[in-house]
Amino acid sequence: MADQDPSPALLQWLKRTKLWKSIFRHDFSDTPRTRLQRIFGNVFLHLHPVRTPKDALRVTYTWGMGGLSFYAFLILVITGILLMFYYRPTTIHAFQDMKDLAYAVTLGGLLRNMHRWAAHLMVVVVILHMIRVFLTGAYKPPREYNWVVGVLLLVMTLFLSYTGYLLPWDQLALWAVTVGAQMAANTPVIGNEGPFRLPFITTANDARFGLIGGTIVGDATLIRFYVLHCVAVPFLFCVFLCVHLWRVRKDGFSKQTGEKVDVWPHLVSREFLAALLVTIILFVWSMALQAPLEELANLNVTPNPSKAPWYFVGLQELLVYFDPWIAGVALPGLIVAGLICIPYVDGNPKGIGRYPAMGWKRMGPLRLWYPTERPFAVSVFMLGVVLWFALIFVGYYCRGPNWEWYMPGELWSHRRITKLTLKNLPNLWGGLLLLGYLLEGTPMPKAVKARLIASKGPNAPARISALLHLGLGLVMSTALILPLVTAMDADFPVRSRYPTLFEALGRAPNAPVMSWLYRTVEGLGPALGTGLILACIGVLGAVLGILGLKFASFKDRMFDELGLVKYSIVIGLFLMMTGVLGKVMLRLLFGMKYLIAFPGLSFNI
Amino acid sequence: MGSEITGQTLWGQLEERFGRRQFLLKAGWAFFYLFLGGWLLSNLKYLFPNVLYEPTLLFKAGRPEEFPLGISEKWKKAQRVWVVRTPRGFYCFWARCTHLGCTPNWFEAEGRFKCPCHGSNFNADGDVIAGPAPKPLWRCSVQLANDGQLVIDKARLENRPQLREQGDFFLPFQES
Repeated sequence: MADQDPSPALLQWLKRTKLWKSIFRHDFSDTPRTRLQRIFGNVFLHLHPVRTPKDALRVTYTWGMGGLSFYAFLILVITGILLMFYYRPTTIHAFQDMKDLAYAVTLGGLLRNMHRWAAHLMVVVVILHMIRVFLTGAYKPPREYNWVVGVLLLVMTLFLSYTGYLLPWDQLALWAVTVGAQMAANTPVIGNEGPFRLPFITTANDARFGLIGGTIVGDATLIRFYVLHCVAVPFLFCVFLCVHLWRVRKDGFSKQTGEKVDVWPHLVSREFLAALLVTIILFVWSMALQAPLEELANLNVTPNPSKAPWYFVGLQELLVYFDPWIAGVALPGLIVAGLICIPYVDGNPKGIGRYPAMGWKRMGPLRLWYPTERPFAVSVFMLGVVLWFALIFVGYYCRGPNWEWYMPGELWSHRRITKLTLKNLPNLWGGLLLLGYLLEGTPMPKAVKARLIASKGPNAPARISALLHLGLGLVMSTALILPLVTAMDADFPVRSRYPTLFEALGRAPNAPVMSWLYRTVEGLGPALGTGLILACIGVLGAVLGILGLKFASFKDRMFDELGLVKYSIVIGLFLMMTGVLGKVMLRLLFGMKYLIAFPGLSFNI
Repeated sequence: MGSEITGQTLWGQLEERFGRRQFLLKAGWAFFYLFLGGWLLSNLKYLFPNVLYEPTLLFKAGRPEEFPLGISEKWKKAQRVWVVRTPRGFYCFWARCTHLGCTPNWFEAEGRFKCPCHGSNFNADGDVIAGPAPKPLWRCSVQLANDGQLVIDKARLENRPQLREQGDFFLPFQES
């Protein structure tokens, strides 16, 4: 037997030693038996099953995103540990240590760049992984819980980025964290500036104080974030990662078609190649592009504009449209809660293990490329993703000095004269608008329909539904436009030059619909102008009403299938998402600040 | 008679629920978990430091005659305040946006403070004109020290109309 072994004599001798045999428990010839042994005889590879369906290995199915997230995490752990040798988390040393790492420490710059870029890569890959899992229905039973763990890992990934962002102690770091920490101060009840603050909560004992360990971002914050970033969150992350990977094994892979093949070498070689590719990309990236490092943190001066890292810039843009307790606390919380809810409210068992089939669908004058399978789930989820990235795009490319709107590529000017004006809707009208919007979610359950048919004839449900939706549309458009053209400006004469909201917003540079309406009405004269305004109310009301009516039968069906609780969760989250879009539009087109404002309670919507 | 029966069944129900024999054991575990939970919860307080090593919020800003009429940026970089002198006297803004705590900039041409982080605009009185800030800029207390210098205290703040224009938050001053 030994004569047939083609390896060199020295190696053959080595393999016969006790030392070798104590470490490697099987031989490495390529036989079916050793293929299995390599997997279950190795603690690290043992993460894998020994055999897996062939179709699950297709790159175009998973894009390797889960594995690559893990690999990015490994790179971050290794580069992070190395960076810790030179970094001291104090306000006196931190920035200097960063400079040393970049310019004085051998290969320090490369390590720091890799750490930073790998962090960006990890955020991208984790998000793409989540999208892939959603689209292939891999969160459906029995994998619901693993989706929840995955969402928590996404949150932890972002929190790791946030805490790591402070450590260089440059201007970028300080202001991102100042803003992020101030959002904690706006937490309802336990934040010093949040709505319904408890009477004993002050700036020296609120949620922000607990987060940053003081009243200003300083040494206490730095050591706190250092510990969170280097020890506490990575530890928690590892725990949840173990659960995540273990559940993948226990719940089975979502793709179960195709013959089974050995994981060694079929999967392991693909993983190795992917890791190699990512390593090369990261190396080239880190050698070509320096990780950003601005000047030393200055607690008194904010860079203009001051932008968060790209994955938080969508949140920063969202903060422009809502009070911090909504945009910074409630909405992120609801987004995470909504993501966690998905597998528990989606009762549709179809679409596991494949991307949804797409087809062309006519919708009025438009031809849409539309999922024919799981149409609601897929389009709502993707709408959320697109909205989030649209916010990131606007924040990143369309905002210049003073966070004013600039077209992408437009030259920034720090001295551009822009007299922005925002106004509130009177509370009652705003409340009516909001109520009308929320009532759009009302379904007509089967039982109600049956009773209506029994008492009022077969067409009654359709008639009442049309009446309800068109009525709500009209209520909303009236509650929006009527006060805008008739109400007095509460800021006049102290803070505003114009006595009415119509004039103030009509002359503002940032309310295009209002300025168009104002100019046109001024040109037409009172009688025709009133007619135009009434026509606007009618048209907007009809559009909103018909839009609601389009979804009426779908809502009814969903209510009957899901029941009250699940339906309320789904419709609530959906209305929240489109409501965010609506408020953004109100701000950008109508110059609207709040629908409801109770400044005394810090409660504004 | 009737009440006795109800009493007995109630006692019986209680006994069934909490178990006479198991009572001490269960009470023991309950207290153990209560203690454990309380101890873990009390550790939350551990994250709230009792002593802060932060710079003082009170400083002397020089003699009032040194300030021209209008909004002075002299102390913005060092102390994060704008000292405002009007023909009637002095008041002082804390240069911290009431939205999320960035430092706004003063734009003389427009007569506005604008915040670089989310675009809040404030007028010269510190009132919000545009952007997401929910409240007017805070004003700090301004007083005159015995040596004739302005003393500005950023720990004492006010932004309500009327209240912010009197007391410690406005220093009447006319050059003789």
